[in-house]
Amino acid sequence: MCKLGKFLLKLLGVVALLNVALFCVFFFDLDGKFLFHVFEPFMKNHYDNMARKDTLKAPYDMDKFPKYDYNS
Amino acid sequence: MANIKKALRDFWYGKPHSAEEGGRRIADLYIQPTGLYKHREWRGVKDTLYYFYMIWLYNYIFMVKDVMVMGGLVNFVKGVWRYRWVGQTYLPVLHWFDRGLEGMRGEALRGSAWHYRAMVSSTIRQFQRMFASDTRLHGGKQNELYKRNIAHNETVWGGVFYPWDGEITNVPLEMIPYFVTCHVNSHTVLNYIDAVQSIGLPGDPCPMCQAESGIFVLDDVPDFAPAVVTCNEACDASVSTSTLQDWFFDKPLFSLPMPMIFDDPLVKKYVMREIEELWKFIEDQYGIPFSWDKLVRKLELQNELQRFEWEKWEVDSKSSYYPINGVAQALYRIYQSQYGDWEIWHATDKKVRKIMEKCVSRKINTFPQTRHRVIAWSCAPLYYSNWCTWAYNCWGLNVVINMDSLMFDMTIRTDSYENTLEDMAQYHMWAPMRRMAVGGMKHMFELWEYMERFNCDMVAMYDQLQCKGVQGLHGLFEDEFRNRNVNAFWIPHALPDSRTVSRAEIRRLINDYMTTVMHEEPLDPSLLDFDDGMTW
Repeated sequence: MCKLGKFLLKLLGVVALLNVALFCVFFFDLDGKFLFHVFEPFMKNHYDNMARKDTLKAPYDMDKFPKYDYNS
Repeated sequence: MANIKKALRDFWYGKPHSAEEGGRRIADLYIQPTGLYKHREWRGVKDTLYYFYMIWLYNYIFMVKDVMVMGGLVNFVKGVWRYRWVGQTYLPVLHWFDRGLEGMRGEALRGSAWHYRAMVSSTIRQFQRMFASDTRLHGGKQNELYKRNIAHNETVWGGVFYPWDGEITNVPLEMIPYFVTCHVNSHTVLNYIDAVQSIGLPGDPCPMCQAESGIFVLDDVPDFAPAVVTCNEACDASVSTSTLQDWFFDKPLFSLPMPMIFDDPLVKKYVMREIEELWKFIEDQYGIPFSWDKLVRKLELQNELQRFEWEKWEVDSKSSYYPINGVAQALYRIYQSQYGDWEIWHATDKKVRKIMEKCVSRKINTFPQTRHRVIAWSCAPLYYSNWCTWAYNCWGLNVVINMDSLMFDMTIRTDSYENTLEDMAQYHMWAPMRRMAVGGMKHMFELWEYMERFNCDMVAMYDQLQCKGVQGLHGLFEDEFRNRNVNAFWIPHALPDSRTVSRAEIRRLINDYMTTVMHEEPLDPSLLDFDDGMTW
């Protein structure tokens, strides 16, 4: 068999394997399980512990900008 | 032998829907209470492969592509790390597809999934635009994109910005950080509701307004635009949200009012003037002149979308060949009609037209287990917008149309400046939750006309427990249902807050109605009672 044929066969095999692997992830909801049990708790922990600005300390400058009343 | 035949038939076509036919028992697939699946549903060879390749894999691939093209991977990663509403919410988006498309087969699966795809693409476009322009993610620098963005309340129709198409990008403040999150992952929004209550604001106003304010309280809003447009939609609680936004955003702000009573020509004149004022505000802030040609071009494109929507309604109302399920119809339509014209809607409509024409020409009954044609009225529970998928699978209740789809039932004239402005004012006043939720009895009671037009025999009546406007009409509806002998059940909820009325409680109320009033048996008994308390 020529080199090209072997290469194509290998490529076909890799594509087929990839398809089977992805189908397993899809069918057994492995993406959902990973996101639910690993990713989301990790991210929640990160967001819960983030340093945040205390927005209530910002002054409310009500007259800082004009009224933008063009018809009066 | 019979067993082997049945197993082969189930493998090839998927298990049949109803218990009488040896049904599929969808809830047996759940890992309760997480909402995860032991395995995803086997829908037969053709539909399972379609779901795998054309929905699951296709959407994962195109989400990555959208992220790369619209703002890049670096901005995306920075945004995910910085903002809870994107990191916690949008990565499990394929489960949102699963919940909405559960049990669907054939053309109904295909048509509905394309609607979901469009919403995902539009969502990525918006948050990527925010992240690419966000001063917080770029060392405090106001880049060129920042200078060409305008922020606005999600209830301000995107169409008022059409005259600056291609020059200024309008990005709603809350559509992605709040509204869409509730549908995809209902847990995220609870942080924002709690945040606003933690600073002493009462817990009884509309939780939508609470959540929209809470995002600011938690300092979780990107700084992506030099100016902002707010509006009083849908109620006085929204006005308070705007006040808090004005405080925390601290930017030039234009308030575009929406009148409470709007069936009045004098009020319309007032709104027309307000829209013109907004246009002057944008010219002032950005130094870019109003373009009539751009406005007309975009409105014509939007009218195209509306005309196709009317074609869809025609098929939906007069036949059983409509390939869109209740949740896809509602969410796609409200998203598209509120956000305004965008390429993805046209591309999606083209695909859906093909599917719909196939259904009509081949007379494909897309929801063959329909027992009742249902119209859903008032505003829906955001954390359980897919209740109608459950209702069809469990009881054969086919939600053929809903209030959110019907609000903007109009095209906009482009023959003269005056006519265009008048129609734009009308469109602005027919905003979500305004026309048919708090827009007066006349519009609330348009239900009866639409019920007839869509050939419905049952009403699913939403009852937003924290909406003071709609609560006043509860008794009137009860009376009308009795007088007109209409089959109707109520769905109480607190819009985004899944803690007030749980999904299980909503299902219990519908189950009770179907057994005690309608005396019917479920199609899929496994769906009667299950625990999905922790579901996204």
